[in-house]
Amino acid sequence: MDNRPSRHHLFRLRSSRCEPPDQRRLPTREIGGAHVRIGLLTESGYPYVGGEGGLWCDRLVHGLDRHEFDVYAFSSGEAQEDAGWVPLPPQVRRVRTAPLWAVEDDGVVFGRRARRRFREHYGDLTAALCAADDPATPEADRFATAVHGLAALARYEGGLVSALRSETAVRALERACRAPGARRAAREARVPDLLTVAAHLECALRPLSLDWYEEDGLGAVDLCHATAGGAAALPALLAHHFFGIPFLVTEYGVRLRTHYLTRPDSPPAVRSLLAAFHGGLAAETYRRAAFITPGNTHARRWQERCGADRAKLRTVYPGMDPAPFADVGESPREADPHTLVWVGRVEPAKDLVSLLHAFAEIRAAEPKSRLRIIGGPSGPEGAAYLGHCRALAAQLFPDEADGPHAVGDNPVSFEELGGPGPATSADAHAAGAVTVLSSVVEGFPVGLVEAMLCGRATVSTDVGAVVEAIGGTGLVVPPRNPRALAGACVSLLRDPERRSRLGAAARARALELFTVDQNVAAFDGLYLETVARTPVRHLVLDHTGDPLPFAAPAEAHVPGHWTTDPGPRAVPRWAMDTPVPATETAR
Amino acid sequence: MSDLGELNRGTVPGAADPVRALLHRHHDLCRRAVDPLEIAAGLEAHGITDRTAARFRHRDVFSLAEELYARVPRDDDPPHPVPPGAAPRDRAALLLPLLPGAVCAASVAALRHTDGETRLYAAAGGILALTLALRAVLRRGPLSTPAHAPRPAATASWTCWLIGYALLGDGLLHLAITGGPDGPPDGTGGGHWPLATAPALALALACAPAAWTTQLFTGRARRRLGSSRGLEDFTASVRPVLLGTVALFLLALTALLATASALLDEPFALPGTLALGALLFLARLLTVHGFTHAPKVILMITAGAQATALATVFAARLPGCADLSAPVETLTAWHPAAVPALTCGAAALTLLVHASRRLPRASAHLPPGRAR
Repeated sequence: MDNRPSRHHLFRLRSSRCEPPDQRRLPTREIGGAHVRIGLLTESGYPYVGGEGGLWCDRLVHGLDRHEFDVYAFSSGEAQEDAGWVPLPPQVRRVRTAPLWAVEDDGVVFGRRARRRFREHYGDLTAALCAADDPATPEADRFATAVHGLAALARYEGGLVSALRSETAVRALERACRAPGARRAAREARVPDLLTVAAHLECALRPLSLDWYEEDGLGAVDLCHATAGGAAALPALLAHHFFGIPFLVTEYGVRLRTHYLTRPDSPPAVRSLLAAFHGGLAAETYRRAAFITPGNTHARRWQERCGADRAKLRTVYPGMDPAPFADVGESPREADPHTLVWVGRVEPAKDLVSLLHAFAEIRAAEPKSRLRIIGGPSGPEGAAYLGHCRALAAQLFPDEADGPHAVGDNPVSFEELGGPGPATSADAHAAGAVTVLSSVVEGFPVGLVEAMLCGRATVSTDVGAVVEAIGGTGLVVPPRNPRALAGACVSLLRDPERRSRLGAAARARALELFTVDQNVAAFDGLYLETVARTPVRHLVLDHTGDPLPFAAPAEAHVPGHWTTDPGPRAVPRWAMDTPVPATETAR
Repeated sequence: MSDLGELNRGTVPGAADPVRALLHRHHDLCRRAVDPLEIAAGLEAHGITDRTAARFRHRDVFSLAEELYARVPRDDDPPHPVPPGAAPRDRAALLLPLLPGAVCAASVAALRHTDGETRLYAAAGGILALTLALRAVLRRGPLSTPAHAPRPAATASWTCWLIGYALLGDGLLHLAITGGPDGPPDGTGGGHWPLATAPALALALACAPAAWTTQLFTGRARRRLGSSRGLEDFTASVRPVLLGTVALFLLALTALLATASALLDEPFALPGTLALGALLFLARLLTVHGFTHAPKVILMITAGAQATALATVFAARLPGCADLSAPVETLTAWHPAAVPALTCGAAALTLLVHASRRLPRASAHLPPGRAR
């Protein structure tokens, strides 16, 4: 177990929950089963409790118990660090964490030569950010060279924190912005803009100052798996640069797109320079990655747009555990044939207002129909929206009482999971004959996949990854169109046979595409394929720790496929898609 | 958000320019955007997908965004309004620096009106209360350090030494030259080992002007950030502000010292106190802006110099070392407060030169980072 204190006190190791070295499990060797040591790089997710995207990492690590995982995690805040870790399985050998949110000056003061090198590399970086977009520019690798140079500086001289916040850095940035050929928005940068950009770059380049890039750190793994783009992919990029370690990038939401949406009110100069930085980082990540696994077609399109090679793209859908939905999905019992169900977190993007308007039309056509809205609000905005929706529902559908003393009954009900109504989301979907999704903005629709696993017919709006998830097994209508939504719902309510046919097809599709098993198997295959393409660098040891002679054949030291005929190989591919270096490589 | 349903009805199929309506609807987004991808991200956040883009005769959202980006005129962009850098004003934090002055005045009064063992307790209580008050002032408000700065290591002990010397040092030096001391100080200004309470009271009261002038400097510098065109501009315009700030503080300190001396009926020890006040103020100003190394070194050297001056006088009593005390005796004969005035004055001048090079830089005013 590696729990050395990190070199710069910027980083600390939490108490480690892995087994002590004497109880270390030896890798099991079996025929046909290669043992891969994977460096799993996460940002604000696994292994912290409740981190975003932590769940699929957890399932991945649990599912691949014959491999070994070293987890390198960035935390997103103090609250997260205090919340602690999820229980780690024995295949996680080492966990190293670093905060990206906290800056602590490590007191490293550069000497004259280091300062000069820093000025050169940072100047290159800023010049690459400020350069006008010109595809004919011969300096396409300038960004990468500068980042590698800064990383080498941080590795050999110590942390970059004070240098990145120094006057040298701000002046280099100003010089790059005022240089001839700089893009227009950069030329207009004022002093506060320069300071904002410098502070943001310092924040974004913090992974460079980590002490992970050593022979027994990231240098010891067989491959890196970055579970997000951006900051999490930066250590993988540097491990590839320093040690030649191949890496995979998984993106369920594209980081670059998030950056465009996070700072809409900043001055144009700030947005332009930061967009250039994140765009450059994404392009470099995609160029160097062995495989890129988008979580859906939407992410895939963004990645293609940012320069990802199609040959490296493998869409791996997020996996869901089908077990909780098996009872509902398999049971022949038909739910209440007049009930529509909406399940999810209530927020404005879900557009419940158009769902309520649509339900008014549905009720005009099918007076016995009911609508159950199941889910709690997300945040104060969601709570306000829920109140608005309740008021609208009360207006559209007044309570209908049988007599003067009876309690009125409303065809629209608002419930929460775990309340007096349904306990789990499987129960929620089971309560209705048709599941409706009325969002205007949606990433990968988890709720829809749950409904598919429950074998329910669905009506959804055409947003995000809905169409690729549902395929032909449900009805899809344009968003913000209550009439179309109502029409689709009425047609399903009136046709039980079609409902059951669509539900069965949806469940079959979900079981084939969106289960944990397919997700884990896909990553397992990608790991093995990546390792098979990489020359062996490590000495293979046997159980007693002695080197195993001839464990790796001589051909294994040659990159590329050596078991199959590579075909005509006039020019290797790596020579074609990398740009011609115009500047010196900073190895 | 755009209303796509409305959009569908509003656009006549086959109209000559369907993109025009979209451009009108998202004009702000398109005008603000710095590249087509930003428009694409914004359009997707408004619910426009590739299938919507197909209605505008585009293959995907990206090519639609490119058309929108190309069609928005960008030549007459108004300059982006600079948000006023209004720092949140914390009233409590601005009144807090009055606390050390009040505590010190109370302690001095207690010392004057007690004697014997009670005076010892009063002195101990006063020092404890003053330390707590100073700690509170340095933790919160304009004099607090930024979150990301390295922990200020050993400046506290050197500062204590300097203040202690201002209180007792000159008395001890004169006693040592004349052959004393014969006993501990009795806590009055008139005994054989006099306690100089006026400088200490003036320095404690000066916490308030120090905090306010620091706030003034930070606020002015932030305003200059917004209004200057380049880094050189900024540096040139902030340097006079810094010098003015220091001058203002020294004026305030002089006034406070004059008042304190008159009230306590003590000699007006201007040079030593002024030099010490300037030194401590500049050291704090540098620390507040993240430059901790120079203040630490300078304070250490100053305290060392004062300690050496005292040590030479005592060392002169050793046989054969009588000449050691000659420089200090000459200086003291020239002016009784020459040792603290010269050491602190030289240190303050050095720090002033350093500060006038470092503090007008833009990087000293970077937005502070978060600390753990």
